[in-house]
Amino acid sequence: MALTKSNSENRSGGTAGLNEPRIVRFLLISGALLFLSLFLLLPLIVVFTEAFKKGVEVYLESIREPDAAAAIRLTLLAAGIAVPLNLIFGVAAAWAIAKFQFPGKSFLITLIDLPFSVSPVISGLVYVLLFGLQGWLGPWLAAHDIKIIFAVPGIVLATIFVTFPFVARELIPLMQSQGSEEEEAARTLGAGGWQTFWRVTLPNIKWGLLYGVILCNARAMGEFGAVSVVSGHVRGFTNTIPLHAEILYNEYNSTAAFAMASLLTMLTLVTIAVKALIDWKSHVVGREAPERELAEAA
Amino acid sequence: MSIEIRNISRSFGNFRALKDVSFKVETGELVALLGPSGSGKTSLLRIIAGIEVPDGNDGAILIHNEDATAINFRDRRVGFVFQHYALFRHMTIFENVAFGLRVRPRRVRPPEKVIKEKVNELLKLVQLDWLGDRLPSQLSGGQRQRIALARALAVEPSVLLLDEPFGSLDAKVRKELRQWLRRFHDELKITSVFVTHDQEEALEVADRVVLMNEGRVEQVGTPEEVYHHPANAFVYNFLGNVNLFHSRVEEGKVYLGEMPIDLPAESAPDAKSALVFVRPHLLEIEHQRNGGDNFHAKVTHINAAGPLVKVDLVTDWGDPVQVELSHGKYLSLGLKRDDEVFVRPRERKIFLQ
Repeated sequence: MALTKSNSENRSGGTAGLNEPRIVRFLLISGALLFLSLFLLLPLIVVFTEAFKKGVEVYLESIREPDAAAAIRLTLLAAGIAVPLNLIFGVAAAWAIAKFQFPGKSFLITLIDLPFSVSPVISGLVYVLLFGLQGWLGPWLAAHDIKIIFAVPGIVLATIFVTFPFVARELIPLMQSQGSEEEEAARTLGAGGWQTFWRVTLPNIKWGLLYGVILCNARAMGEFGAVSVVSGHVRGFTNTIPLHAEILYNEYNSTAAFAMASLLTMLTLVTIAVKALIDWKSHVVGREAPERELAEAA
Repeated sequence: MSIEIRNISRSFGNFRALKDVSFKVETGELVALLGPSGSGKTSLLRIIAGIEVPDGNDGAILIHNEDATAINFRDRRVGFVFQHYALFRHMTIFENVAFGLRVRPRRVRPPEKVIKEKVNELLKLVQLDWLGDRLPSQLSGGQRQRIALARALAVEPSVLLLDEPFGSLDAKVRKELRQWLRRFHDELKITSVFVTHDQEEALEVADRVVLMNEGRVEQVGTPEEVYHHPANAFVYNFLGNVNLFHSRVEEGKVYLGEMPIDLPAESAPDAKSALVFVRPHLLEIEHQRNGGDNFHAKVTHINAAGPLVKVDLVTDWGDPVQVELSHGKYLSLGLKRDDEVFVRPRERKIFLQ
């Protein structure tokens, strides 16, 4: 027993690794903390202090104000359309990529990543060039009295575009690592395609899927660049929360601007909390896996 | 129910995994598909199950004399046990076994009470009824393997297919489980095919062995037949330990070093070289050259741990030889390393080239 103890002590000393002197450890940790507080914590505090500077009454008033309420509704609408669509697309794409071999697979993966690699402003501009009055499809759309740019459909389209990769990117590596043996087993037991999906595939990816949806939603609500280009900033009609916050700030109405910003910040905090919960949850589930991997390695 | 494999071929890109394979598994038999890795045995098993499809249209899988390729996957009633178990990791053991019953269309799905009884009965059959509410990750490899078997049996398959059923288990569990599988099969009498690369496993468990190599069937027979009457050099080499000598053929005789072996009369007269196989227990070591039917060799290593003593030697022409002796014989010979001895093959198998 004594032997084991001293062994483990040695080992823990070894993993602490290089046994840095106390002062170095202190400097590294405090440096990291200082950096985090300066660049992350401080802005967070500023947002809320600015928002509540003139009291809770004013804060609530600036959220209830009609243009602000319209911006909140539009943001919820855009996210409400973009997130479910990208959820379905993401699952379908990840399923296809992870479980099947087909020509053009790597091209599809690149295509999914495209919104990540293109500046959001550029993607907004592309939509203007496509659907704008001077754009390729502009005259046809105008003739049929369909408004996309500087209207709600443009905002929804831009939101869908920038949040495209989140769910798929989250699921592809997960599904690839899980392989398709369980699906094959389900099929040999007589399950149909949908039964296999609902009973076997979906439960296996649910945490990754939820994580992807949360990231997708956060981005959908917070997107500025692409939406800004296609929105036209019509107050009460085509302003989302981030756009409205910017307008208010430019008008020196900082309390109202920060009230808007505080909404997005709260969304961020909720996102972080849920993400932490998922990490913890999937970690608990994942911890039971190594044995299986060992068995497979043997 | 019998399984007939008729002219099955399968390619993956340029690689031909199966080349025109045909054989028949009789009702109630336990057949082993035995071969080195890459011999196409798993592909064949997956084709029988319907997970993969064979190339072209000239091949067919007949289960109980009916073309299985025409039968819907659901109605094929093939139980498949995967090498890595493929248990549903988010379901309890009970739900894993119940899966095949629960996914049935409503009109043929048994009521909850019947499902419960059936699953418990199966869990008892594999002697794991106390694990029903655990998750697969909480079970050992051997337990998972038995659950995978119970799950496959839940749909009352007419045919049971097992892919390397003991492949990922350690040696001791492996041995126990394969004897258990044999008893299990004798009880249920369900037509079964299992894939293995372990010749000992195949010879011990199976009624008949199908030996496969490079996508072809090399020999089909009972373990005794394939062991004692191998059809060709591959089979002899693959089954059991064997010493292999490359030798020359001159004037109707095969020469093992300086030791001549008369060729059987019907053999091909124009052969230039031959492969001579001798099992390690069919070689005898002597100190004196008694007659001409032995060759000179030098002891390089002795391993006396185990039921038999294994003596490694090297011939004058450089081939390594392994001889297995009883401990009594070993002591009476008084062998040491670097001893110069004579080796006499009691039996040998010659394949002319």
